[in-house]
Amino acid sequence: MRRVRRRIRARVVADAIVAVVIGTVALGPILFGLSTSLKARDALFRFPPELWPASPTWENYRLLFSEGVAIPILNSILITTVTVAVCLAVGSLAAYALARFAFRLKGAVLVLVVVVMSIPLPSLIVPTFTFASQVGLIDSRLGLVLFYTAYQLPLAAWILWGFFTTVPEQLEQAAMIDGYSRLAALRRVVLPLSTPGLVAAGLFVLIFAWNDFVVALVLINSESLRTLPVAIYYFQGFFGREWGPLTASAMLSIVPVLIVFVIFQRHFLSGMTAGSVKG
Amino acid sequence: MGATVPLAASVLRRPRRRIDARPYAFVLPLILFEIGLVLVPLGIGFYYSLHRVDFFRLGDYVGFDNFVRVLTSPDVLRSLAVTATFTIWSLVFTFAVGFSLALYLERDTRTNVALRAIVLIPHVISLLVGSLLLRWILSADAGVLALILNPVGLGDISILGDPGRAMGALVGNAIWRDTAFAMILLMAGLKGIPTQLYAAARVDGATAWYTFRRITLPLMRMPVLITVVRLVIHFVNVLTFALVLTGGGPGSATRGVSLQLYRLGFESYRFGQANALAMLMMAFNVVLILVLVRLFRQRGSA
Repeated sequence: MRRVRRRIRARVVADAIVAVVIGTVALGPILFGLSTSLKARDALFRFPPELWPASPTWENYRLLFSEGVAIPILNSILITTVTVAVCLAVGSLAAYALARFAFRLKGAVLVLVVVVMSIPLPSLIVPTFTFASQVGLIDSRLGLVLFYTAYQLPLAAWILWGFFTTVPEQLEQAAMIDGYSRLAALRRVVLPLSTPGLVAAGLFVLIFAWNDFVVALVLINSESLRTLPVAIYYFQGFFGREWGPLTASAMLSIVPVLIVFVIFQRHFLSGMTAGSVKG
Repeated sequence: MGATVPLAASVLRRPRRRIDARPYAFVLPLILFEIGLVLVPLGIGFYYSLHRVDFFRLGDYVGFDNFVRVLTSPDVLRSLAVTATFTIWSLVFTFAVGFSLALYLERDTRTNVALRAIVLIPHVISLLVGSLLLRWILSADAGVLALILNPVGLGDISILGDPGRAMGALVGNAIWRDTAFAMILLMAGLKGIPTQLYAAARVDGATAWYTFRRITLPLMRMPVLITVVRLVIHFVNVLTFALVLTGGGPGSATRGVSLQLYRLGFESYRFGQANALAMLMMAFNVVLILVLVRLFRQRGSA
């Protein structure tokens, strides 16, 4: 009996240690960045480093805003919002066709969706830049929205497709007997019943558009059009070894993502497994 | 679907002979987006790869000259070796840690759900920001390394200044960020295994190891393959880790093929060769993606 109890206690201790290790490795760099961003300049290079500043200060954040970080933040908010809206609208239409019709090219459309969903962006940026410079989509927020939409539509459509198939078709048919068109049935019946799907798809697009760095890096030249990640990238050259403002800018990017992630965590997983596990 | 279509639906649906245009109208916008902004750019890129390009001006048709040049360039060949090293190490560790975590955190207890969310955080934040934060914590200025390593007598170690250790840091970045991805995909696979199988094995007195080898592993074949292929696609192509964490250095020790491609295009402005290299990468990716589609189909029909 005592041995069993001892073994249980050992198990609890081992689990606790594993939990602490996982937490430290995963969050350590982020928390250290947060701590750095709250340090005054003279505390930055002190050895041994303070794990948490004795006298935290907002000075680094103030410095960032006086250097105009508000503009890239607003650009990112604008681009993210529009991209999410367009992806959900166009994605819903496509998902509706996949969920409700049997048509000849359905297989081809699905392959297109899975393929584009799986193409890694770094292999696309050179041809995309070559193309964009021909058609005037360089250095344009609209251009960024269009490319982001093209990259995220397949995932959005895929997630929504899974949710639409769970909406009973009879409800729509009843609505159509009452004189609704297909489009009206989609808007008034299917979409309201697929809110979790819209949240999941929207969440994925939102996080992508907010986080994207490589596409925006090559497509945007003007300082006034930079998105937040591109601005952070150029801050590195501007601030050099001044890691206070640099880590502060990193936190400005992370915090909104974390808030969204914590609130909608449950919806997040369906998007990650999309393309691997049947939705 | 077929068998479960309710009566009303089958009555309402008249047999159609003509092609029904409605589904096409619904998917058309998506198709236009993908063709116009993904496939056409790839086509243009291919066209450019067959020409001499001086900065941005399209020159003469040169056949596969750019491809030959790219494939015989020592820089490109070195970058391929770097990418291979990075991909193999990252794959091994990310997969091993991801699978371990998937098994360890599979049960939906409150702590496990919380730990999964914590592991996911490095994955949901921007790639750029993650690499930036790792660069800070690994730098000598931060003092964190010295704090940890001084007691072991390795005080003045430089991580990003040494070729081998810089590669280690790059792999570390991959593990830190992408373990969660492997974990989630593999956990979805684990949850698909019927619990009765485990119960039956327990009744038969099977050990944990035996159950894992004879039940878990065989049934995880598809999820494992899919996870491995998706990780390989990601690691071969990822640009941000090297661009931000190591800058490809020291020297060219961590300059993988995607960073080589980026430099060729956006620093040397050789858009003929850069597009040729991009086409080669895309060809590699398409092969892997087709494998993925095939795996996915098999799984769908199984």
